[in-house]
Formats: sequence, structure tokens, C-alpha cells
Amino acid sequence: MNNQVKIKAPYPPGDFAIWLIIYVELVTFGLLFIGYAFSRRGAVDIFNSSQLVLNQTSGFIDTLILVTGSYFVVKAVNAVKTATGKDIKQANTIASKWLFASILFGIAFLINKLLEFSAIFGMGINLSTNKFFMFYLLLTMFHFMHVTLGTIILFNVRRRTKKSGYSAEDHRGIETGAVYWHLVDLLWIILFPLIYIIR
Amino acid sequence: MKKTAEIVWIVLIVFTVFAYLLGKLKLVSTFMVGVLLVTTFIKGELIIDYFMGLKDVSLKYRLIPTVWLVLIISLIAISYYT
Repeated sequence: MNNQVKIKAPYPPGDFAIWLIIYVELVTFGLLFIGYAFSRRGAVDIFNSSQLVLNQTSGFIDTLILVTGSYFVVKAVNAVKTATGKDIKQANTIASKWLFASILFGIAFLINKLLEFSAIFGMGINLSTNKFFMFYLLLTMFHFMHVTLGTIILFNVRRRTKKSGYSAEDHRGIETGAVYWHLVDLLWIILFPLIYIIR
Repeated sequence: MKKTAEIVWIVLIVFTVFAYLLGKLKLVSTFMVGVLLVTTFIKGELIIDYFMGLKDVSLKYRLIPTVWLVLIISLIAISYYT
């Protein structure tokens, strides 16, 4: 019988300030998600016909990119969380490689999204076309800005791994960047089915 | 050797492929939207618990994003089904 009791950490990973930002982001995006869902109820035909214009494959690729990028970030954090003594340098090198992969995926997401926006704007669609496109553009562009910021944060976190800056005792910085990146992932997890799939 | 991150990643990918196929094969029905919302909740909770690392943190910090997720998914369902 396993008598081990796992003690819960008193605070979430990373700097507590990032969690305050995350709570604000959750409320902001939450209001937009609910706004979209209830606006759709009053104009189902317009929302369904407008949704057909979207490229579901592009949204699918975006999701794969973000989910996989998040996995890479988890691997980076795990690499340094247990590093002590002479292992620190090697752990930071491993974390750096995982972060490099996640940054590449972040950039791939941004490029894919720019291509999607370019196709949408090329059709003459803008914020005032109808309510569906207003929400689509607001949500995806706002999210795009968050991915951009997340990628910049990961870039800076990676710079510190180059100096073997994280260890088992000091890994709050990498955790702070990681939870922000996972927030971006969490928001997209809802955005994708809501905007691209549900009809 | 524990492979939690790998298992979570695979589940996320499988549910994402499921969502995409629903849309691509035009299988979105009122019933399947319910299934899709349940899988979306599971995906979100996996990210909260295992990627954000809140599973092993004081319950109140785990509950904040979890309650948010339940609320958003429930309101999307209410807007769709009522």
C-alpha cells in the first residue's frame, strides 16, 4: 500500500504577477467567447454562412502548432527543474533546445495566421462586414498579439538558458514564461472549435 | 518512467484531430457539438493541470482557471442549445 501523501505547493508555478495577468486575460477572452456565442444565437444563418469562408485546415494546423509548442515548453521546464551541481549546464542546454523548437513553432503559428488574415482581407472582409467577422477578427488578432508576446518572452527565457541561468533552486523565470505560453494555448483550445467548427 | 507530458500531448492531438474531422467531414450536429464541448473541456483541463502545473498546487489556484473553463463551456452550450 502506498502511504505517500503528496504535499501541494502553496503557490502556482512562476511569478505570482503573471497569474494576475492570466486571470485578467481569462476574463477578457471569456467575455469575447460568450459575446460570440450569444451573438450567434441571434444570427445563426449569418454566422454559419460566414464560417464557411474560414479555412478550417489552417485553424487545425494552428492548434497542432500551439499544442506541440506547449509540450516543448513543458520539456524545457522539466529539464531545469531538477538540475543541480554539474548537471545545471547540461540541463540548460537541453532546455534551450526545447525552447528553440517552441519559438520556431510560435513563429510558424504567426506566419500561418498572417497568411490566413491576408486571404480574409483579400476577400474584402473587415471588422464591419458582419458580426461574425467582427468577432473572428477581434478574437484571432487579439490572440495573435498574445502569441507574439509569448514568443518574445520565450526568446528572452532562452537567452538565460544560454548562460546556464536556471536550476532546481532557481527556475521561477522559465516557469513564468511557460505558464504564459500555456495560457495562449488554453485560449486557442476554446477559440478553435468555437469559431471554426461549431455551427 | 513517467511520460505524463507525452500522454497529455497525444490526447490533445487526438481530440484536435477529432474536432477538425467533425468540421471537415461536415459531421457537426447538435449531439456532436455536445461531444466536442466535452472534449474541449478535457483538453483545457489537461493544459491547466499538467502543462500549467496546477494539479499539484493549492486547490484554490487550480480552481480559478477550472471554474472559468466550466463557466465558458457551459455558457457556450447554453447559447447553442437554448
